[in-house]
Amino acid sequence: MPLIAMRVNGEEVEREAPDHTLLAFFLREQLGMTGTHVGCDTSQCGCCVVRIDGESVKSCTTLAVQAQGRSVTTIEGLAEGEALHPIQKAFRRMHALQCGYCTPGMMMSAVDLIERHGKPLTPDEVREGMEGNLCRCTGYHNIVKAIVVASEEMYAGGLKAETP
Amino acid sequence: MTPATYLRPGSVDEAAKLHDDFAEAKYLSGGHTLLPSMKQGLARPSHLIDLAAIQGLRGISVDAKSNALHIGAATRHVEVASSADVQRLLPALAGLAGSIGDRQVRNRGTIGGSVANDDPAADYPAGVLGLGATVVTNRREIAADDYFVGLFETALVPGEVIVQVRFPVPLAAGYAKFRSAASRYSIVGVFVVRTAQGVRVAVTGAGEAGVFRAPELEAALDKQFSADALADLRIDPSSLLSDLNATPAYRADLIMVMARRAVTNMGRTSTFK
Amino acid sequence: MNDRVITALGNGGSPLINDRLFKAIGKPLERKEDLRLITGKGRFTDDFTFANQSWAWLVRSPYPHARIVGIDKTAALAMPGVLGVFTGADCLADGLKAIQHNPVPSTKYDVKLRGPDDTPVFAGRHFLLPVDKARYVGEALAIVIAETRDQASAAAEAVEVEYEELPWVADSQEAIKPDAPRLWDDLPSNVLVDATFGNVEETDRAFASAAHVVTFRQHVGRVTGMGLEPRAALGHYEADRDAYTLYAGSGGAVRQKKELSEVLGVDQKNIRVLSFDVGGNFGTRNRLYVESGLVLWASKKVGRPVKFRAERSESFLTDYQGRDLVTEVSLAIDKNGKFLAMRADNLSNVGSVLVSLSPLGKGSGLITGNYDIPLATLRARAVFSNTMATQAYRSSGRPEVTYAIERVVDKAARQLGIDRVELRRRNLVKREQMPYVNAVGSTYDSGEYEINMDALIQLGDFAGAEARRAEAKARGKLLGIGFVNYVESSIGTPKERVDLIVREKSVEVVIGTQPAGQGHETSFAQVTADVLNVPFENVFITMGDTDVVTAGGGTHSGRSMRHASTVIVMAAEELVALGRRMTAHLFDLPLDQVVYDDGVFRNIADETAWTWFDVAAKAATTDLPPELRGGLRVRCDNEMHTPVFPNGACMCEIEIDPETGSLEIKRYATIDDVGRCINPLIVHGQTHGGIAQGVGQAMWEGCHIDPASGQPLVGSLMDYGMPRFDNLPTFRNEIAEVLSPTNPFGVKAGGEGGTTGALAVIMSAVEDALLPVCGPIEMDMPATPLKVWTALQAAKAAPRKVKSEVTACP
Repeated sequence: MPLIAMRVNGEEVEREAPDHTLLAFFLREQLGMTGTHVGCDTSQCGCCVVRIDGESVKSCTTLAVQAQGRSVTTIEGLAEGEALHPIQKAFRRMHALQCGYCTPGMMMSAVDLIERHGKPLTPDEVREGMEGNLCRCTGYHNIVKAIVVASEEMYAGGLKAETP
Repeated sequence: MTPATYLRPGSVDEAAKLHDDFAEAKYLSGGHTLLPSMKQGLARPSHLIDLAAIQGLRGISVDAKSNALHIGAATRHVEVASSADVQRLLPALAGLAGSIGDRQVRNRGTIGGSVANDDPAADYPAGVLGLGATVVTNRREIAADDYFVGLFETALVPGEVIVQVRFPVPLAAGYAKFRSAASRYSIVGVFVVRTAQGVRVAVTGAGEAGVFRAPELEAALDKQFSADALADLRIDPSSLLSDLNATPAYRADLIMVMARRAVTNMGRTSTFK
Repeated sequence: MNDRVITALGNGGSPLINDRLFKAIGKPLERKEDLRLITGKGRFTDDFTFANQSWAWLVRSPYPHARIVGIDKTAALAMPGVLGVFTGADCLADGLKAIQHNPVPSTKYDVKLRGPDDTPVFAGRHFLLPVDKARYVGEALAIVIAETRDQASAAAEAVEVEYEELPWVADSQEAIKPDAPRLWDDLPSNVLVDATFGNVEETDRAFASAAHVVTFRQHVGRVTGMGLEPRAALGHYEADRDAYTLYAGSGGAVRQKKELSEVLGVDQKNIRVLSFDVGGNFGTRNRLYVESGLVLWASKKVGRPVKFRAERSESFLTDYQGRDLVTEVSLAIDKNGKFLAMRADNLSNVGSVLVSLSPLGKGSGLITGNYDIPLATLRARAVFSNTMATQAYRSSGRPEVTYAIERVVDKAARQLGIDRVELRRRNLVKREQMPYVNAVGSTYDSGEYEINMDALIQLGDFAGAEARRAEAKARGKLLGIGFVNYVESSIGTPKERVDLIVREKSVEVVIGTQPAGQGHETSFAQVTADVLNVPFENVFITMGDTDVVTAGGGTHSGRSMRHASTVIVMAAEELVALGRRMTAHLFDLPLDQVVYDDGVFRNIADETAWTWFDVAAKAATTDLPPELRGGLRVRCDNEMHTPVFPNGACMCEIEIDPETGSLEIKRYATIDDVGRCINPLIVHGQTHGGIAQGVGQAMWEGCHIDPASGQPLVGSLMDYGMPRFDNLPTFRNEIAEVLSPTNPFGVKAGGEGGTTGALAVIMSAVEDALLPVCGPIEMDMPATPLKVWTALQAAKAAPRKVKSEVTACP
């Protein structure tokens, strides 16, 4: 079985896995990092969103080998130690999660959106920018609020826009 | 998912050689159609030949001599959408790329993958056909009018690799699409282009045989380029798709609505849902 | 929240409940469960793995109805990695029983549904794998176990099933016909319930004398729960201790354990069921799935742990589905617009086997809605069909009945030329009438329907609606205003148990409900903290493991907060009594010298005082007499049948693009009377999600079946339209707290109200938008752009001169 190596949340990892292993299942089943979820089989729900070299992707529609040698960030790498990321704090404060299943992908997608936007987002910009993530519990209302608040906090905290 | 061996060739020639070697091999680009198809058992390739990493397949350049945009086949939608050159010379195409799927899909999906797959509801075929682009492969150059053959069917022969798509810069272009509430694919998308040689109109999402040109709309717009010129035209629904989203009659009407909106909003992509 | 509290606490009032001392109750506290969920440390079923685990894949029927002639496993068994292939015949040989779903609602307050001619209800037989026939597309016929999931999947394709295709029926209105293909030979037809309620003769008389009779008939279509976590089940049989362990998300592990014990023929003490984080339930996971039994049984057969994880495409076919009710209602009205009587005929499609009659039963008791209608009769029928079984789905039965009554009232308003708000006002049950017994015998506990309606008119700015309509028209858009009152019932399983355990620094609450995002770990802790007067931070809730949780009714029907708060306060009273005895013993005091006073045990002689934690700490280091040896720990059981009736009103505005038929929700407002609101952050969140789920059904969602082939047409999110970020607006919501007199805290329920009115309010708005162009229309849900466009085209072809009669303002 081929050896797949990548950097996950800052740590070099290396595991044997069949070529057709999807990145989501490499993370979940080879690395035991079960925070990344899989909710559909047509790349629509966004529960599986992680970042590869800073870009958000759907890890259920990316082969693990395609991340070979690259840097992957998952929900487990969002907080810095005990210090929660502003998006995590905002999700909790605004009650932007209920069952929590979509939440990891939702937050990974949101952080990418905020970082690339260059300035705090408006609710309409959030609704458009988050089109690749589905939630069945919240009606999105509080998620929109949380992402707006997190974007304000992140830019107030000195975030500079990244360019793709 | 059926097991498949992943191959990462360093060149197009090597990719083509691998494709020859393995009868059940498939090219992999963004993977956003192929991998879901494999999950559903609709595709069972023995080998996946990844084109995305091949040097020279990716990138956007302006060919001043021919006044054309050259987009490498492995260029991702996000790159086309955010390219300053595309935004300047072909804003409707930048908008089209930026309207495909969602951010994560655009971070993976490529123009070559979309054009090779030729999904009847995909957006790129409308842009390629409407703009009269040239599909450049490892073997030849194919004019858009000769390229799209049917549902998921193109002029590509087995093993042929798209290398680049060349878009002549028109006088103006506009794209209007109406999205499915479920799949977010286009139920109808109409790409309208003004060139020195005349107007071209390409319709995606609607045709039983995939993307098609609408000569009656082109003729009307050649006479007078305005939404009003389309007011009395009707599209024959007999060869249009029927599904949960839309009947042929509804699609026929949407084609006219989207055509008028494209004409009214030249220079960009307008999405309706 | 507000001061419109009309009732004192009822007979359940407790000295431990004192509004003035509440520190946690009523506060929008952040949830305790969030930290693990936002850091990727959730505990969903597929997150658990056993060493040496194998994988299951199901062989599923491609036909809606087919006799199983034979199943040949030979080729599959020869495939790489295959550990076993098992069929319905193997189940029978091992003596496995059918699942006992207990499908007929059975509290004292549920309406009594019976079979035709007052016979007992026949439910069909839900075996883990059938032996005789496949009765729906996707029904599992064999299970394949292999080393890897890919191997199991590949081997499943090699299982050769020989079918004899049979005539099939999917539509309930076809299925009730005497000559329809029959699913079960035990019944003379597919009709399994046919019951009539109310006073038929007097209702007939009222109809005969009425000035107006208005009738509305519609099919409320079928939807799926689409919880984002696909179903999964992980089973492990340990032969050395004859023990079965199942990880499977559900609405209540205790129920799963009981039913699995019946199916497997195993004593309950040998089964442990664990259900921690659940990625969406909405009712669809409250009944046992065959896969949960199959992984346990197969684990014993192959001697390895077995995991099943559904593909999303499998979930679309085989998750229990929701709704599918054909309803016809008629309203008899006098010349002044007063409702005299109503008749209803409801037909529920239960699918291939009966799993729950809750949707039919719930709706039946509420058929008169918020209105004072003295007479009503209702015929309730249920029918089998070659489709996936239906189950109580978000607000079960209540959106359907609200849809029927509110749409017929809109229609009546138009026909009578009375403003729709005014017509409602004339007929609402008044506050003074509470508790109100409706015409089919349901007792509405409390509520202020007219105040809700008027508050909503303010919140939704009805006064500005006509100006917004004109502004939309100037942009070429058709704006419609929808308006709805609703009342629903929360009954649910009547029994609940809690264990309260006070330790040195914490209080543990063990309880048998199972949330899927409703925040029980937080709201139950708020209640416990305030009744014991301990810090919220020190209270922890334990759920979901049947080795710890010994009883419990699960989470459904909006029952959890009401049942939990009641049994917690009852347990707290016992705990106080125990605490006094413990304090007296520990500090060597006569019992009557120890008083309990808001979280503190006090020696009245010298005013020395000990907190709960002081007492627990001392107890932990003291050799206690037998009667105190358990420490500060009580178990309390409660049985509570009396239902409550959450209610409210909602409005929305929808803008239609007449060229494309597309719809956009511009405004959505609700007032929801949830009784006592324990945590407004959570209750609002429930309302938002509930709205989205109801709106989804009204606008996008549908499990369509091809009428020619019986094949489901919707198998993925490519076909199933979901509520999304960009097709919902920001909501305007207010909570009304009219306490219920039926339970100590006055709790009603907050989980379903958002959904209950949503179907009706969306369709009311769509109809209102189209009225000037199309006249009155009756459109089946979902109101897709295609349907709207079709209605507009029909109007173009045959223009109807209809002036907009629907005013927005009273």
